[in-house]
Amino acid sequence: MDEVFKALADPTRRELLDQLFERDGQTLSALEEGLPMTRFGVMKHLKVLEEAGLVTTQKRGREKLHFLNPVPIRLIHDRWVSKYAAPWASVLTELKHDIENDENEEKER
Amino acid sequence: MNDEQAYTVVGGRGSMTVFEIYIKTTPERLWEAITSEEMRKRYSFGVGTVSDWTPGSEYKSAVPGVVDIAGGENLEVDPPRRLVQSFNALWSEDVQREGASRVTWEIEPVGTSCRLRVTHDQLGEGANNELYGGWPMILSGLKTLLETGEDLDTPGSLRYSG
Repeated sequence: MDEVFKALADPTRRELLDQLFERDGQTLSALEEGLPMTRFGVMKHLKVLEEAGLVTTQKRGREKLHFLNPVPIRLIHDRWVSKYAAPWASVLTELKHDIENDENEEKER
Repeated sequence: MNDEQAYTVVGGRGSMTVFEIYIKTTPERLWEAITSEEMRKRYSFGVGTVSDWTPGSEYKSAVPGVVDIAGGENLEVDPPRRLVQSFNALWSEDVQREGASRVTWEIEPVGTSCRLRVTHDQLGEGANNELYGGWPMILSGLKTLLETGEDLDTPGSLRYSG
């Protein structure tokens, strides 16, 4: 988890994640175009993101494609946000049940 | 599929997504958690998946009598390492119109843990993000179940259970 926070604590790396969120599966060259930085600089940032598990890669022929992996951020959410959000969700679930039951009763009439 | 064909399926966001998670468990236990109906329910919105898990067999993910979630064919079954499935989403008319895509589960032991990679591809250009949007929550719940034996109770994660 330290690595995730370290990786997110840099505006260039957040920008790279934004770019992948916008368009997943990009090459280094494509990612480099959007940034005022050398290829080597972008590679270094991508390596930090990969080590934190926020970016995964797959090879396609000679090219390496980069994908946003949101799972580590989900784990952070589940650790600290879940207990605050759960009561809301249960209220919404009950509301959904109530509405659906009403609709079913309507249909039966 | 050769590399060139594979590349052409990668277009805008949605045509291919990759999710990875490290779980402290064995490949065998992880495979069981993916293929057991009862375990699957505990981290997939309360939805069980039923199949005999032989190559070419069908699978169905549903809460019987309540909602059908997905179905398709088990294209490759290689326990405890690799499972490739065709994926037809069934939970709404919108997602049904998206047609078949493909889900690949890959398990790789790393030290005392496993890396699970789920690749959801062959999605149409600009595919509905509901198709693959549930994976982070499912994988987070799977990790919680295997590492602690507990159910993840984040909003939505037990949507259809009991």
